[in-house]
Amino acid sequence: MSKVYFSTWMGELINNLNKPEEEWEQSAYNLPAQYDSHRESKAFIGWDGVALFDKDVDVIRLAMEYAAQYQEYSEACGRCAPGRWGGRILYDMLDKIARGEGSVADMDHLKEIGKSMQATSKCEIGKTVPNPILDLMTHFEDEFMACINEKKPSKHYNAQVGYIAKITAPCTDACPAHVDIPAYIEGVRDLRFDDSLMATRQTMPLAHTCGRVCPHPCEEACRRTNLDEPISIMALKRLGADYETDHGFGFFHPMEKKADTGKRVAVVGAGPAGLTTAYYLAAEGIAVDVYEELPVLGGEVTVGVPEYRMPWDKYAKDIECVRDMGVNFIMNHRVSKDDMRRFESEYDATMIASGTRISKKVYCENERPEITGYWGAIDFLDRVNLCEKFGYKLTPEQRKEYAIDNEYVDLRGKTLACVGGGFTSMDVVRCAIRAGAKKVIMLYRRDEKTIIRNTTYEEYHEAVEEGVEFIFHSAVAKIVDEDNVLKKLIVDRYELVPDPNGGRPQLEKIEGASFELEVDYLIPAVSQSADLKFLPEEWELEMTSWATLKTNGKDYMTSRKGIFASGDCEYGPMTIVNAVGQAKRAASVMARYVQTGEITLSDEEIMEDHLRKLKVYNKKEKITGWLPGLPRQHSEILPVDERRDNNKEVNLGFTQEEALSEAERCMRCYYIAMIAT
Amino acid sequence: MINFKIDGISVEAKKGETILNAARRHGLYIPTMCYISKTTPCASCRMCSVEVEGVKGFILSCNTPPTEGIEVRTDSSALKQERTNIMKLYDVNHPLECGVCDKSGECDLQNKTLEFGVAAQNFTARDQSRKIENWGVVSYDPSLCILCEKCVHVCNEVIGDDAIEIKFGGYSSTIIPKNSDKLDCTFCGECIAVCPVGALISSDFKYRANAWELSRIPATCAHCSGGCSLEYETRHVGINGNDSILRVKNNFEFTSLCGAGRFGFDFDNSALKDAKEFDKAVAALKGASAIRFSSMITNEEAHILNLLKKELGVKLFNEDARLYRAFMNAYASISGKLLHSGSLDAIKQADGIVVIGSMIATDNPAVRYAMTTAARHNGAKIVYAHPVEDVIMQNVVTQFMKYEVGTEEGVIALIANALLKDADLSENERAFFNSLDIGYLGAESNVGEEEIALMMKSFKRSKNRVLVAGNDLINHARAANIAKIAGLIEKYTDFSLVIVPKEVNTLGCALISDLDQDEAISSVIGYNAVGDYTLSSIEKADLMMPSLNQQEGTFVSIDNRVLPTNVATHFGGYTLNDIASACGIAKEFTVEYTKDLALYAGFKAVDFDALENFVANDGSDDRGYLLDEIECETTTEIEEVSELPEFNGTVVYHANPVLQFNGYTNRSKQLAKESDLRGSAQFAVAAKISDGDMVEISMNGLVVKRRFVVDERLKGTIALNPTFDISVPAGRYRFEKSNITRVTNE
Repeated sequence: MSKVYFSTWMGELINNLNKPEEEWEQSAYNLPAQYDSHRESKAFIGWDGVALFDKDVDVIRLAMEYAAQYQEYSEACGRCAPGRWGGRILYDMLDKIARGEGSVADMDHLKEIGKSMQATSKCEIGKTVPNPILDLMTHFEDEFMACINEKKPSKHYNAQVGYIAKITAPCTDACPAHVDIPAYIEGVRDLRFDDSLMATRQTMPLAHTCGRVCPHPCEEACRRTNLDEPISIMALKRLGADYETDHGFGFFHPMEKKADTGKRVAVVGAGPAGLTTAYYLAAEGIAVDVYEELPVLGGEVTVGVPEYRMPWDKYAKDIECVRDMGVNFIMNHRVSKDDMRRFESEYDATMIASGTRISKKVYCENERPEITGYWGAIDFLDRVNLCEKFGYKLTPEQRKEYAIDNEYVDLRGKTLACVGGGFTSMDVVRCAIRAGAKKVIMLYRRDEKTIIRNTTYEEYHEAVEEGVEFIFHSAVAKIVDEDNVLKKLIVDRYELVPDPNGGRPQLEKIEGASFELEVDYLIPAVSQSADLKFLPEEWELEMTSWATLKTNGKDYMTSRKGIFASGDCEYGPMTIVNAVGQAKRAASVMARYVQTGEITLSDEEIMEDHLRKLKVYNKKEKITGWLPGLPRQHSEILPVDERRDNNKEVNLGFTQEEALSEAERCMRCYYIAMIAT
Repeated sequence: MINFKIDGISVEAKKGETILNAARRHGLYIPTMCYISKTTPCASCRMCSVEVEGVKGFILSCNTPPTEGIEVRTDSSALKQERTNIMKLYDVNHPLECGVCDKSGECDLQNKTLEFGVAAQNFTARDQSRKIENWGVVSYDPSLCILCEKCVHVCNEVIGDDAIEIKFGGYSSTIIPKNSDKLDCTFCGECIAVCPVGALISSDFKYRANAWELSRIPATCAHCSGGCSLEYETRHVGINGNDSILRVKNNFEFTSLCGAGRFGFDFDNSALKDAKEFDKAVAALKGASAIRFSSMITNEEAHILNLLKKELGVKLFNEDARLYRAFMNAYASISGKLLHSGSLDAIKQADGIVVIGSMIATDNPAVRYAMTTAARHNGAKIVYAHPVEDVIMQNVVTQFMKYEVGTEEGVIALIANALLKDADLSENERAFFNSLDIGYLGAESNVGEEEIALMMKSFKRSKNRVLVAGNDLINHARAANIAKIAGLIEKYTDFSLVIVPKEVNTLGCALISDLDQDEAISSVIGYNAVGDYTLSSIEKADLMMPSLNQQEGTFVSIDNRVLPTNVATHFGGYTLNDIASACGIAKEFTVEYTKDLALYAGFKAVDFDALENFVANDGSDDRGYLLDEIECETTTEIEEVSELPEFNGTVVYHANPVLQFNGYTNRSKQLAKESDLRGSAQFAVAAKISDGDMVEISMNGLVVKRRFVVDERLKGTIALNPTFDISVPAGRYRFEKSNITRVTNE
């Protein structure tokens, strides 16, 4: 709900003209009435209408400035005839009227050209720019006509007014890293893969990675869903990165590295958040040292995500891209409290991006880490991946600790149960299959639908194909050991009982349905927590109730000045793209902070947050101008017997033909939003 | 097949075919301004919007495939109105200078403005001052540009230069050179060809003629074996009424030309009939022991030379054609067919390509463009095996397989060994592979196991591959065995084979000519080649002959296609047919021999005048005819790979710069003539020479003096020596051990 003077947003018509303020009808939407802490918005104008928060808005100039923004934003326009010339004509004619030189015929021509743009423009930006302009011309016709008839400039034509605009798209808005998705898809469609990759890298340095293992929240917000099926957005990202790699090009950076500023930043952790912070800070001419505890770079994507899902040679390219920007990596260095204190004095700012590397317990009876066969998911995946990707063999101590008779994680003849339901648990069970386990069981408290929602349909389906046995509505009640060696589990069964009061159904234990499961290993993969013991106690950093570092979620500074946090250690275990999005924002804030000592957001970022709150995607919108029924492409998956016993990449990616026809489905839903302050 | 209706007519679309293409295939008209058939849709003009029954709004037909049962309307008053509005927008501030614009008369903007009856302009926008750019052979006037993007698409998707892009900026959007201030490309001029208006034009042609004043002579390009279709556009110049070629055009909608084809057209000769000189020529021929000729002649001339051989008892020398034929014969002994199975189309459609033994981008641009098309549109994996990396090809090639000079036989054996690992080979053939000393071949050729493994990995999903065999294989001492191994790859896999002919008619000569091995004897007549008495259209000779744009006749292209070419400008002197007539082989016109061409080599008994010479509006290329396949006897005998030769020291590779091929291109005024020896800084060190030095290069009896320049795009110790301006005996292996000495700068 927002207080507005006038609004046509999303088809609502709120007109409080000539009404006393206390009788004003409110808008149903989260419109940005307050621009930032010290500026109110006077008006908000966008693809789907216009909202005025103030009586004194010069609507003619507002329309003209909005058309001007369409001219400004070259990234999204200049690609079609109606948009290119039509946009200019809109602006010129509106300016003519606003100057007091317009004629009645100009109003007609504006309407005609607006209509042509709506009908024939290439992307939504051209189709929607006329919308709020025509709204204003309709509802404030008197003001327009007054300027024309009296040949006078509009009321604030020469006044200083701030107009702040931002280009967005439903997918871009939904992506935590706000990747310019229509641009990278356009690069594929136009076979300009270098442009595609550079569009991605503007906000997301890990193009190979997020072209493979992103849970793609963008696809939930794809407007094409309203017509038939969402675009396969994630898979199209890979093409630009593959082009660069396949042809052996140097790295296509979307920006030129700025001259050395003399400023320095320390980053703790070389996972997605650390890499992203480092990349964008280095691009700003800031020296970055990244400290990594492990002997390999890349964080959980390296030691957590298995080879068959994210081939190391591809992720290594993403990491090399970051290094190529001039980032310095210090490996095998576990950061200590003293290090942190030293960083504070030696560097201009510090980023904590240490992830969540402690496997949480399943909370059952007799859950003792010292039981042989009880093996945390993070540690399990570390061992598997360090061995498979880098050839690190198990030490004699590790072999004893894990009861493995081989130099690598060899589970032949063993039964493994995993408790989980998220991506990590899927990685565990599928790695266990590849390690030759006799039997692999996933125990999950909820149902199939939920596990698919928490991971992906493909992930679940492929695991089933490979032979993972899923037991839903189940939870471990007790671990049974003999001399500290795991023997079996007592597993309770649950059922969903509808709430008679109409609330959410509750899980209730089915009495007498518990059973025993003989297993060699139990892998808890329910969740992870952050290991933050390296933080100096005297800093007394504020924590969330989830024991992660607290920030305001906008600038990512912790409670201590100059100490920032991003990724899982801030948010809790979440996705790669979430970590990238946070780190990208944080890097931008840090780049300003090290220069000015102040924590600020750019207009671009403020607008980004306003739009995220308003939500760009409207799932009820009816799509016109596109032929429905063109199916989404699916890339080839390695058949189950060709993948079950090895680490070959499972998803072979699109063929060029598939990629092109998928890219051709994209509707380029760019929009412009603008706030007048 | 998808069945649907366009304007009430039932039509079918193929898988992936768009509404626009289905309509065009059925002869139904939908207007477009930015669409070009050979690229992905630019989708910028929006003119091709159509209506679909039951769907709100307009649907873009150029990039939308139909769904089953839809009913499409291509014309309605609403569509007409919006299309007219788009044309009005295109006309906003378009300079009214049709009177002097090169494009006038063949301008899409003019045509569509008339078609939609845009007589008045209601919309205006503030005009902007825009600078005309001169980029060498190409000029760009942004105020005439309608930003259709065709130029950008062909440059990237078909040519592969990727040298221009759009600078986005709404109304002030413009075409700019990519990553450079000045246009830095191979100057194919494709951007000029596809420009629908007068924005991108030929700097040379500018203001020289109106489209309607020009005569168009359909012909086949004479510079390489690509067999590109082109039209010489001629007009009389001066007061004597002689025609001159003003420019070259092509059916750009479906075909392409390189810059040599497009700008290198002015190689015609002028001569007058001098009976005395003619008699000398006839006398020389009658007293000759042999005729040495190059493959830059027509099939009919090759046929005449065969007749002369019989009539006069002379020998015929043409090492280029002879070695090509020997390669074909060896290949045929495995495949059972004389003609290679691949074509430019096969390359365009391939998803995997191995090119070996050629600097292909400059040897044969048509192959390069086909590879670019495959790389972009099919995502083809392309292995480029050669001792010299070619930066021009980087955005096309997915694996550069560098091998040591001279080890071609070993490299192709290694490649074949991997490709045929599971093939159902005959005993002899399997024995051949079992006998390979992989370790030795890998070590000597420098092609490691991991490189072969990478190739196999990248071909994992390929189903449609082509092996492109270049001149280094044909002219190799072990050519016969190499050809057989290539034949095996073709026989047992999805690979088709393209053996790249070096000159415009190497393949035709190889099929027709009854050749003898060249030898150093006296009284040799040279026809476009070295001799004691010379006839030539290429360089100064005892008797000048008509150039290949002054002759009627046919060539055989890389596609095994017999292609006609025509007389663009008049030649006043004598032809080979005149000389042959004087020797008792009498026909009035050379092309009377077209129907007599070697039937045993696959030619057909067709009159020259019956040969079509155009690429149709639907893209079908039925120029001339395809050779008939010739069945051959086969063998399963393959020799063991011999010891691989070593080339130590400073090695020179005969390779022309872009746009240069031969004496014709060397004469063309628009083409750059970079005649330097080009090498890397490493080469300079090895040869003890520096950038800018004049050097003398001695290569096994061949001595050339050139300026040496360091080319930072080159690596390694092989320098590139152009051949377009010198005479290198045909048939030589293109890598030469060399001795380079600095000479004083005179």
